[in-house]
Amino acid sequence: MGDEATLKDIARFRADMERELAPVLISQGRALEQTLCAVLAGGHVLLTGGAATAKGLLVLCLARAARLDFKRVQFTPDLMPSDITGTDILEEDAATGRRAQRFVPGPVFTNILMADEINRTPPKTQASLLEAMQEKQVTTGGSTRPLPKPFLVMATKTSVETDGTYALPEAQQDRFMLNVEMIEIDEDKEVEVVMTDPAARAAGIQQVVDAESLLRFQAAVRRITLPPAVRRMIVDLACSTRPGTPDATAEVTKYVAWGAGVRATQCLALCAKARAALGGRASATAEDVASIAPSALRHRIGLNFRAESDGVDIDALVARLIAHALTGTSAKPVATAGAST
Amino acid sequence: MSAASAPASAPLGAQHVQRLQAARAAVLAQVRKAIVGQDRVVDDVLTSFFAGGHCLITGVPGLAKTLLIASLGQALALSFKRIQFTPDLMPSDIVGYEVLKEEGGKRKLVFVEGPIFSNIVLADEINRTPPKTQAALLEAMQERQVTSGGVTRPLVEPFFVLATQNPIEQEGTYPLPLAQQDRFMYSLVIGYPTKDEELAILDRTTSETKSAIESALSAEQLLEAQRVVRALPVSSAVARYAVRLAAASRPKHATAPDFIRQFVSIGASLRGSQYLVLAARARAALEGRLAPSVDDVKAVALPVLRHRIVPNFKADAAKIGSEQLVEKLLKAVEPPRSGL
Repeated sequence: MGDEATLKDIARFRADMERELAPVLISQGRALEQTLCAVLAGGHVLLTGGAATAKGLLVLCLARAARLDFKRVQFTPDLMPSDITGTDILEEDAATGRRAQRFVPGPVFTNILMADEINRTPPKTQASLLEAMQEKQVTTGGSTRPLPKPFLVMATKTSVETDGTYALPEAQQDRFMLNVEMIEIDEDKEVEVVMTDPAARAAGIQQVVDAESLLRFQAAVRRITLPPAVRRMIVDLACSTRPGTPDATAEVTKYVAWGAGVRATQCLALCAKARAALGGRASATAEDVASIAPSALRHRIGLNFRAESDGVDIDALVARLIAHALTGTSAKPVATAGAST
Repeated sequence: MSAASAPASAPLGAQHVQRLQAARAAVLAQVRKAIVGQDRVVDDVLTSFFAGGHCLITGVPGLAKTLLIASLGQALALSFKRIQFTPDLMPSDIVGYEVLKEEGGKRKLVFVEGPIFSNIVLADEINRTPPKTQAALLEAMQERQVTSGGVTRPLVEPFFVLATQNPIEQEGTYPLPLAQQDRFMYSLVIGYPTKDEELAILDRTTSETKSAIESALSAEQLLEAQRVVRALPVSSAVARYAVRLAAASRPKHATAPDFIRQFVSIGASLRGSQYLVLAARARAALEGRLAPSVDDVKAVALPVLRHRIVPNFKADAAKIGSEQLVEKLLKAVEPPRSGL
C-alpha cells in the first residue's frame, strides 16, 4: 500500500512547514495547523480576524513553502467576474492581418489563490469565485475549462470595517471547509514582533512540498480510519447545532437560527482525518474532531436576534457543544438528571 | 431501458407504463449510488421530470441539493447548469448575450448562449435576485424560448427548472410573487437526513470509494415518456376530485370549509387543479398503472398545493402552515362516488 511511508512523509511535511513558518508567524501555530488540515483535506479556507493578525502573511508563507503556482486578487467593489475567471480578447495576427478570439485565463487558473478581503466585492463576483471553488472549473463565453490541481482558495474577510462590504451569504460561506480565526497576540509577543519584524523573514522560506506530493497526501488522508465512536461523535455534534431537532441542546433551540448542514459533517470527518495524518497517526480520534470543530462550525451556525441581545458568543457556544459531544462519546451512560432539550 | 417508442396514434397499452415503471427503477438505482436518503424528494423530482414540470425547492444550505439534482441529471443523460442568483445578476447572465466576432475578415454578431440553454437549470437561491432577473428565468420557463437582440431561440428539450429558496428569513431578498410561484408544478421541502443516513453519507463521501453514475435513460426516451404520461386517460371522477380539492382551497369559494375561510388569504388557481391531474398521471404511470386514481391525486396534493395556498396573518399567529392546511383539506373534501 505504501500508506505507512506516506504517513511518514506527511509527518515530515508538517515538521518542515513548522520549521519554516513558525519564526515568521508569531503565535499563530494553531491557525497554521488548522490551515494545513484543510489543505490536506482538499478544502478551501476562510481566514478571519482583526486587522494585522497575519491573515495575509499566513497565506503568503504557505504559498512560498509550496512549489505551487500562486496568485493574489485584491477584491474591490468594482471587481468583475471576468477579472477572476478570464476574458476572451480579439487578437490581430500581425502577419496575416486576421483577427481571432483568444482566451486570456484569469488569476483563478492557479494552484493557490489568495482572495483578499472577499467581502469587499459585490455578490456576482463573489459567486463566480465560489462556483470555481466548488466545481473546480470555469465557464466563460460558453466554454468550460478545468482548473489546475490542486486548487486551493484562501480567502480573507475583514471584520473591522463593515461599511461598503457585501456579507457572504450563508450558503456561500458553507463552501469554505474551515473558517480559521486568527488570534490577537499578547503584549510580549507584540513587543517581539515590533522589535524583530518577523514578516521580513518570509523571503527566506524554503520550498518543502510540491503539487505531486500534496495530491498524494490528499489521497492518503481519505484512507485514514475513522473509528465508529468518532463517526458517531461527528454526527452527534453536527446534529446538536440544528435548532428544533431532537438532538439540539436547549441553548441551540433558544439562540440558533440555523445550524450546520451535512457539509459540516463531511468537513469534520475529513479534517479530523487530516489532523491524524499530520500527527503521523493512521486513525482519527475524538480529540482530532474537538480540535478542528470550532473552525468547522463557526461559519455554519447562524445566531438569532435573541442571541445578539443576550450577548451570546458563537465561539463560546460552539465550545459548549463540543464539550457536550465529547461527554457523549467517552461515557455513554451519563444519565444526567433532568436532561433538558 | 429499452426504447419507449410509442406510435403517437396507437392507444396506450400496459407495455407503455410498464416501460416507465422500469425506467424509474433504473434511474433510482443509479441515483442511489450518489444520494443517501431523501427518498421523498428524489421521487418527487423524478415525478416532475416525467410530468415535464418545474420544481421549487426549499431547504437550508448544506443539504447537497446540487448533488441530488446533478445526479438525477446524470442518470437521465441530461445537461445540467447551476446558476447562483445574486442581487447583481442580470437577465443576460441567464439568457446569454451577443458579442462581435470576426471570421474571414468579416465581423458579425455571435450569440453566446447563457446557462439557460441546458436541460436542467438549478436556479440556486432564486429570491436573492431582483424581480427583472427572476422574470427573465420565469418567462423562459413558461415559453420554453428566449428572445435576445430581437431573435427568438428555442430552449433545449426537455427543459426543467429547479429553483431553490432559503427558508431562513433574511433582509435583502426578493420573495417570488405568487403568480410566478404558480408556474412551478411542485414545491418541495428538503430537510436534514436522519442520523443513520448522515452516518452513511459520511462514510460514502469522506473515503476513497466513488461509484460513477451511468445514464439509465436518454433525453429522447424521457420526452417519449412525457408523451405517455400526458396521454394517460383520466376518469371524470378523478378529474372532478382534483377540481374540487383546488376549489375548496379558495376562501371565497362556496365549497370552502371553515378553516380555509379563517386561515387562507389566497387559494389554488386553475393551474393547481391542472397540475394535480398531471402529477397524478405521472405517479400512476411510474407505478405501472394505466388509470390514475383518487389516491394518486391525494398523494401529489401536498407538493402541488403547498405553494399555492397562502396562509393569512391569522394562520401565522396560530402557527398554521400551508402543509397543515393541505392535510386538513384532504380530510375535508369527499371524493366523488361515481366511477373508480
